Amino acid sequence: MPLFLLKRLGQALVAIFGVMTLVFFIQRLTGDPTYLLVPETATQEDIEAMRASLGLDQPLLVQYVAYLWDMVRLDFGRSYVQNVAVTEIIASRLPYTLQLAGGALLVAIVVGLPVGLALAIWRRHRGTNLLMGLVLGAQSMPTFWSGILMIMIFGVWLGWLPPSGSGSLAHLVMPSIALGLLSMATYARIARSSVLDELSKDYIRSARARGVGTGRMVRTHLLRNSLIPVISISALEISQLLAGAVIVETVFAWPGLGQLTVQSVQSRDFVVVQGIVLLGAFVTISVNLIADILYSVVDPRIRKGDGP
Amino acid sequence: MIGRPIAYGVVLAGLMTAHGAMAQDEITVNLVNEPSSLDPHQQWNPDSYYVYRNIFDNVVTRDDDGEIVPEIATEWEQVSDTEMVLTIRDGVTFHDGEPLTPEDVVYSVERITDPEFGSPQLGQFNSITGAEVTGEHEVTLTTDGAYPVLLAQLVKLSVVPEHVVEEVGADAFNASPVGSGPYAFEAWNRGVDVTLTRNADYWGETGPFETAVFKAVPDAATRVANLRAGTADLIVSLDSDLALQVENQPGVKVLTAPTERVGFMGMNTTRPPLDDPQVRRAAAMAIDREGIVQGILAGGEEAVGQLATPAHFGYVEGVEPIAYDPDEAARIVEETGAGDTPMEFATSPVFDQRIVQAIQQMLTDAGFDVSISLTDMSTYLQSARAPERTERPFLSFGRWSCACQDVDGVQFPLLHSSSSWSRVDDPELDALLETGRSSLDDDERLEAYTQVQQIVQDNAYILPLYQAVAIYGAAEPLQWQPTANESLFLNRMDWSE
Repeated sequence: MPLFLLKRLGQALVAIFGVMTLVFFIQRLTGDPTYLLVPETATQEDIEAMRASLGLDQPLLVQYVAYLWDMVRLDFGRSYVQNVAVTEIIASRLPYTLQLAGGALLVAIVVGLPVGLALAIWRRHRGTNLLMGLVLGAQSMPTFWSGILMIMIFGVWLGWLPPSGSGSLAHLVMPSIALGLLSMATYARIARSSVLDELSKDYIRSARARGVGTGRMVRTHLLRNSLIPVISISALEISQLLAGAVIVETVFAWPGLGQLTVQSVQSRDFVVVQGIVLLGAFVTISVNLIADILYSVVDPRIRKGDGP
Repeated sequence: MIGRPIAYGVVLAGLMTAHGAMAQDEITVNLVNEPSSLDPHQQWNPDSYYVYRNIFDNVVTRDDDGEIVPEIATEWEQVSDTEMVLTIRDGVTFHDGEPLTPEDVVYSVERITDPEFGSPQLGQFNSITGAEVTGEHEVTLTTDGAYPVLLAQLVKLSVVPEHVVEEVGADAFNASPVGSGPYAFEAWNRGVDVTLTRNADYWGETGPFETAVFKAVPDAATRVANLRAGTADLIVSLDSDLALQVENQPGVKVLTAPTERVGFMGMNTTRPPLDDPQVRRAAAMAIDREGIVQGILAGGEEAVGQLATPAHFGYVEGVEPIAYDPDEAARIVEETGAGDTPMEFATSPVFDQRIVQAIQQMLTDAGFDVSISLTDMSTYLQSARAPERTERPFLSFGRWSCACQDVDGVQFPLLHSSSSWSRVDDPELDALLETGRSSLDDDERLEAYTQVQQIVQDNAYILPLYQAVAIYGAAEPLQWQPTANESLFLNRMDWSE
């Protein structure tokens, strides 16, 4: 067991090192941020001075070694643009991203699961076609359009919700719906096929034969058994939600990581982009590591190395 | 049936008064992004200075007519070619209660011009070589030569308190800035908003707001929605399409101001076929400025015939642009065979692509072979400022502002052969631009710039297009006159009764 753990841990470290290296070099292939940092009237000497003060005048390899050394010491650097520690910037944005992802996931599950269930149970009913159409429609609307539409209707005309921004639960409603609609359709489809799968199984037929009503059957048998695939896609959906938040965050002026990523990439704020990518890599890799460990606990074949 | 419109009317009236009542003490401004920095000696972009220019006083400022008027300096005198004496206002205090002294002014100058400090604004102030306290209320600035634009640059030099900056350090100062301006820093909720409160002890006008909140709202349509819903009182950076939406709504209005930004098409006069003045002239004749201004921009922009706007010192009255004549342009292109050389139009998404495409179309119609090369801003800038002049782009579109309202800040970087932007190499032009940069005699400068306009026009070195306009949206009761230098001074705003 310890040997297996060490191996997995080593792999995770190698993966993080790989991401660190990639993000460092790929960014530096995309151009020099100095030009974006100085006013138009800056002379060539001013640009050189700025470049030197950022350390970008050093040979790439020297910069890379310095960067790795900083990472080892857990020094993630300072934003070129804001001149503030990256950890501080990311820490201020992260809670907003998590709130929005949570809200969106809630919308997706609360709406998506019942819809999927209904689509499966009443699959021969005509109304389900309409419902399926609505689900598809919700998924197909581009967020930058549906978002603005919602803002106009609920924020401006009806005045029920604040049109944009953050700070209260009311602010979270529209962005969560806009972002949640995308995954909602995924949940509905997965739930539908999973329920259909279960419906064709023997235990359902015998339950029906015993005279169990639809409501009770769904509650006691169907739901729990069809939830397994739904739970396993949730992990995937969460990373999707974090990535998909870029547009929603921009439209609703939601101060999350998505907005920060776009702004930092545009202004070539290498240090901030590195920080965000590393955070993403760290989360993904740790989740996988934990999953690997859990699998091995559940299924001994995996840690013995003769598993699937 | 009759009841309904009345009910709507009552609700509407209720909303209006609610908006008005709330709006009295507090103003909410929607910026595009949050400020990059609130330390006025660091990052330099509109979203930052919209906010920090309310927290800090500058050495001098411009009034709504664009005239330079006293702020921290009450008087200034050019005592020699390289020395200017400033009289520092007495009785100004910082928000922590400490007095603002001449030493603070000197400290501010030295801080922003220190190469070690690495201010992105260094280029605007590095002709200042020294600052010294030379009297009880007196500071003397020394420049590396005669520098007529000094005062115009001092409009942007904010005075910071030495005792605070030195005590807390640059980071803490940026996170919690202390100035002497009409509004004091209250809170910075990263990524969300910055709150300022009125400085009751301010030496001048403060404006009617108890608090001011600056929010980051990146999407322009969302800013308009916020304004219409009453959650914003003032929004920045609209285009003419969105302005039209605002214009037709009750309770909100559009505010515009011609800026000191000049739109232009740059040509690389060192690369064939554009090294031939006749070909450049043809390119100029192919462009329909009025069409661009009225058909595409439609925000009140004015076509210009020189690389300057009436908001600049050095603007020459009565210069007529090279007239739009597509037939003559086509004839010249045909005759010179200029259409045989493929030319790249370098640009980036930051620039209005509608204009870039229109120009490409007009040039193609005249027979040129032009293709658009769209890259991100940093790549574009790298090519636009390539060390070798001949490697700079064939064609480009730009909107230039020096934020100094002086022709020197526009024409020197774009036309002088020593500049990293310039695609022109003309010793006679260089000499005139140098005179304009180094003479302290306004008449002599104007004379030089008059000749510059003539040479630029005769040789079609660059194609001036239009004076850009800044468009804002505001709540109906907000009284404010936006200015050419795109500042947002809260103490010059008011609510109408």
